[in-house]
Amino acid sequence: MVLIIGGAWQGKLDFAKETYSLAEEDVFTCQGVEIDFSRRCVDRLEEFTLACVQAEKDPVAYFVGREELCRNSILICGDISCGVVPMSAELRLWRNETGRLCQYLAKNAARVSRIFCGLEQRLK
Amino acid sequence: MTVFISGGAKSGKSGLAQDLAVRLADGGAHYYVATMIPVDEEDRDRIRRHVADRDGLGFQTVECGRDILSCLDRVDCNGSFLLDSATALLMNEMFHDGTVDEQAGERCARELAVFVQSVKNAVIVSDGIYCDAARYDEVTELYRKGLARVDRTLARVCDTVIEMAAGQQIIYKGGLPE
Repeated sequence: MVLIIGGAWQGKLDFAKETYSLAEEDVFTCQGVEIDFSRRCVDRLEEFTLACVQAEKDPVAYFVGREELCRNSILICGDISCGVVPMSAELRLWRNETGRLCQYLAKNAARVSRIFCGLEQRLK
Repeated sequence: MTVFISGGAKSGKSGLAQDLAVRLADGGAHYYVATMIPVDEEDRDRIRRHVADRDGLGFQTVECGRDILSCLDRVDCNGSFLLDSATALLMNEMFHDGTVDEQAGERCARELAVFVQSVKNAVIVSDGIYCDAARYDEVTELYRKGLARVDRTLARVCDTVIEMAAGQQIIYKGGLPE
């Protein structure tokens, strides 16, 4: 498993496509609380965590027990950790849950990359 | 040498950029490309503070808040250029005359790439505005996307790419002169 994090518009998916030779059909773009692990790459995990928050589900618990499914996955999550604490409780929880998920995934990932202006910083 | 520097607010970007621009000039001409178009007293104060910061460093100021390539015929391209910041330049390009120019990010990225490739030494400063948990309105998101386009283009064409954090350098690409 590989985790790629970074701010909005930084080129995380472009980096993943180039580094891991992914085609468009290899990419699953998160929209709700379910993830299709049959695709090699799972993009926009921050949308998955937002959907989980809205559905009152635990995004980390979703991954527990699915280790086999995502053993070879390339997971991409937007870094939303650095702004002012959001006024909205939902966005506050979203921010926390996204951070918690990234920590969990990073611990279990073989490689963690942070993308800054299209360039990789290897964190693990 | 061309250097791209980004990072959070008050992380030491401008200080490093000034220092580098002077060192790269190696006694030759060094220019401060002033991108901010002041609209109020707060802006003018900010400019006065920055001017005071640069006092004694020998920069020649070139005012250019828009159309960045237009300043090249007023300067010696063998000199060293400090452009602080891409953020202000894009602001001026995108929000001109009370309208929103959706092509500004693309144009700004293209022009800045030509700019850094036209001069001997350049240090370009931008701002990291991409890591917060906010849902922005369409216009703000267009600006964020546009600046990211500028940043990624500069990160590709510049020799050295640095993120500043608490005055420390995280080097993503290239290196710095001794």
